[in-house]
Formats: sequence, C-alpha cells, structure tokens
Amino acid sequence: MKRLLFLVALIGFVTPAPVGAGENGSKILQNRCAKCHDLTGPAPQTIRKLWERDAPDLFYAGNKFRREWLVEWLQKPVRVRPAGVNYLRTINSAPVRDAEEKDKNYDVLYGAVLRPLKHLSLKPAEAEATADALMDLKAHSDLVAGMQLDRNKKVDLDRGEVLFDKVYGCLSCHQIEPGFGGYTGSELYTAGRRLQPAFMLSYIKRPKNWDPKIWMPNGNVKPDDLQKIVNYLILLSKEDFNAAN
Amino acid sequence: MQNNSMGVFLLFIVVLLLSPLAEASETAKDNYRTYCMQCHGMQGTGMGLNIRDMSVQPRDHTDAKAMGGRTDDEIFKVIKEGGFAISKSVLMPPWGDVFTDDEINDLVKYLRDLCKCKFGG
Ligand code: HEC
Ligand code: HEC
Ligand code: HEC
Repeated sequence: MKRLLFLVALIGFVTPAPVGAGENGSKILQNRCAKCHDLTGPAPQTIRKLWERDAPDLFYAGNKFRREWLVEWLQKPVRVRPAGVNYLRTINSAPVRDAEEKDKNYDVLYGAVLRPLKHLSLKPAEAEATADALMDLKAHSDLVAGMQLDRNKKVDLDRGEVLFDKVYGCLSCHQIEPGFGGYTGSELYTAGRRLQPAFMLSYIKRPKNWDPKIWMPNGNVKPDDLQKIVNYLILLSKEDFNAAN
Repeated sequence: MQNNSMGVFLLFIVVLLLSPLAEASETAKDNYRTYCMQCHGMQGTGMGLNIRDMSVQPRDHTDAKAMGGRTDDEIFKVIKEGGFAISKSVLMPPWGDVFTDDEINDLVKYLRDLCKCKFGG
C-alpha cells in the first residue's frame, strides 16, 4: 500500500502540470521541430534555397493536413516521399544490367532513403497538442478560400486512374499504391486521409502558389477533371493496401 | 565632387530597390537538374528515377539523330506546352507556368549542347 502511494506520488511529480493544449503544442514545435521544419515561411524562392530545404514546410500545416492524420502520423511516422525531401540528394547513376541496353546508365535511389523513415515520434498526448498547434498555422488561407470539393463529380477507381495516368501523366511522379508509380512526388495512396480536399484542389491547380520552385508542373487540369481527380484520391485512400500485400 | 558621389550613391540605392522586383532567372543547368532530370536522367539519356512505370519513355537528350529532327521552335513549344502540343505523349509535362520564355530559350540552348546537334543534323 505504501508502495502504491509512493508510485502515485511519483507519477504526480513526474507528470508536468497541465497547461493549455495550444501552448504546450507550440512549445514542442519550437523546441523539437523548428530546427528542421520551417514554421514561419515563406517557402524557398530560388532553386538554390529549395536545394537547402531539409524537411517539408509546415507554416501552412493548418491549411494542408487533416488533424486525425497528423495525430496518428506523429505517433507512428512513415515515409511520405519515396525519394526523400529532395530527390537530387538521393539518386545515383548505375549501369544497366540488361545486356540489350548497350552502355546506358539509369538513375536509382541509394542510401538511407531506401530504409524506413527515421523521424522522432510523439506520445499520444503530445501528438494531440502538437496537431492542435500545427492546425493553427494557416499562412495560406487565401489559397484555399473558395476551393470547394464537389462530391457529385465522382469517378470509380478505374476511370480515376485513367485521368491520373493517361490524361495528365501524374503517375510519372506519384505512387498510387506502394511501389507503383513514380518517386519524385509524395505518395498519393494516403493523400485522401492526409490532406484536406481544398488543399489538394488548390495545389494541383497551381503548385507554384504553395511552393514557387517545386518540381511539380502545372498540368493545366480542367476544372471538372480537377474535381474528379481529388474525388479519386479520396476514394483511393479508402483502399486497404496492407491487406492487398 | 560632393554632388557627383551623392548622385552615384542615389543611383546605387535606386538599383538596390528595383532589383528584387525583377523576376530572378535561374540558369539552364539548375533548371534542368531540378525539373528535367527526374525523368530524363542525370546524364540526360532518358534514364531518370521516375521511368519504371511510365508507358512512354522520356527522350534521350543526347541522341543527336532524334534531337536533330526538331527545330528550336518545336523544342521551345514542347517544353512550354508539353508533349501534347507537338503530338507526342502527355507524359512530357507542360512547363510554361514554371519558366519564363527566356529560361525556356536557355533550356533549348542547353539541350543543343547536350545532343551536340542542330536542326537537320
Ligand atoms: C531531423 C529533422 C526533423 C525533425 C527534428 C522533425 N522532422 Fe518532421 N519531417 C522531417 C522530414 C525529413 C520529413 C519528410 C518525411 C517524408 O516525406 O517521408 C518530415 C515530415 C513531417 C511531416 C509530414 C509533412 C508532409 O508534408 O508530408 C510532419 C507533419 C512532421 N514532419 C512534423 C514534425 C513535428 C511535429 C516535429 C517535432 C515534434 C518534427 N516533424 C521534427 C524531418 C524532421
Ligand atoms: C514531375 C513530377 C510531378 C508530376 C508530373 C505531378 N506531380 Fe504532384 N507533386 C510533385 C511534387 C515534387 C510534389 C511536392 C511534394 C512535396 O511537398 O515535397 C507534388 C505534390 C502533389 C500533391 C500534394 C501532396 C502532398 O503530400 O503535399 C498533390 C495532391 C499532387 N502533387 C497531385 C498531382 C496530380 C493530380 C498530378 C497530375 C495532374 C501531379 N501531381 C503531377 C511532383 C509531380
Ligand atoms: C514526368 C516526366 C518528364 C519530365 C519531368 C520531363 N520530361 Fe521531357 N519527356 C518526357 C517523355 C515521356 C518524353 C517522350 C514523349 C514522346 O516520345 O511521346 C519527353 C520528351 C521530351 C523532349 C522531346 C520531344 C520530341 O519528341 O522531340 C524534349 C525536348 C523534352 N522532353 C524536354 C524536357 C525538358 C527540358 C524538361 C524539364 C524542363 C523535361 N523534358 C521534363 C517526360 C518528361
């Protein structure tokens, strides 16, 4: 009994006094995240600045992410960008093994990016508080204003994939299931769970508005197709890719 | 004398104030590395990181025969408006929103260096 009391006292002592959730979260951001992530903006304005970026910008996190995804991911981070934050740092030129291709080399990933992501992870309460603080960072509310998903512009997975691959060539850079698609963009099979629909609409419409020098082109997606593609990405994220493997 | 150096100083300030207004132009080399290499490859041979699941493979920019078959205007157009604009694959994206026309002209010259070729040979 004495021991139990001691334990209770100890827990009471170790657990920090409850503070306002927001304040707690922004302290975590400042102390543990700001050394890698930009929390204030603006995004890199030149290629040389872009090449210096070590981690995704978070200064518009509240305009970009779905809170539920943040809470989950911050406790169990997994790789979002198959070639890392900057593919130029993770590629190497290797000789073609196929004898028919004469003396050509092809580009492959090498190094740490081939292993599971190493990222600090947070405890449940910290993740909740940090997600709240991130959702308060809304530097680009201007870019999502007026972006409204039209759920009537539905497509099934097959027709969505046709738009995504054959019509607009998005698949060249983005994976729509683990290991299928390109490498230099973020994977999009979890995009519907990760990102707000208004962000996706706005980003696809003009990536440059969010990240002036990013290597995603403006594909001039027609308004109707833009709606369909985002509905497709949301539908896609409901697939259980772990079950399929 | 006093007046003259004051004038130079003022001119200097004006130039300083104006310079950030002009859109900064990137070099063709940096642009190629950042935007084109992901598909066209580190050596420009079309063997980029993204190609495995692409149904049409990127052009080998060192292929003098294929690249020599295109005029500078056609190359300008395909970079600005994408493969679709010259009846080629949409997997070659349009870059008109990313580059200024000057930057695209620099890229055309850069590609001519890569293939060591001109239109018609
Ligand atoms: C050592 C550098 C580093 C630190 C410190 C760090 N991160 Fe990250 N973070 C990264 C990198 C690199 C990625 C990109 C991972 C990927 O794309 O696979 C990332 C990705 C993220 C993402 C996903 C962003 C996106 O756009 O997909 C979030 C959210 C995030 N970090 C939050 C945090 C928070 C919150 C902290 C502090 C508790 C933190 N990070 C600390 C390097 C860091
Ligand atoms: C040439 C490569 C490329 C092509 C083609 C491309 N993207 Fe991207 N895309 C990217 C890159 C790079 C990013 C930014 C990733 C980052 O923030 O680090 C991105 C980001 C995105 C995002 C936001 C994802 C996130 O996690 O923040 C969406 C949504 C998206 N692209 C959809 C599309 C769609 C739809 C198309 C076709 C119309 C397309 N992309 C074509 C490279 C590409
Ligand atoms: C998403 C992948 C991708 C990216 C990024 C890309 N290209 Fe291409 N490019 C292609 C493909 C695929 C083709 C072949 C099209 C065909 O043969 O129908 C091609 C073809 C070309 C051609 C030859 C057109 C012809 O048939 O004569 C030129 C020139 C070209 N690209 C220049 C560029 C430049 C410059 C950049 C960077 C600004 C770039 N590409 C970025 C995929 C890409």
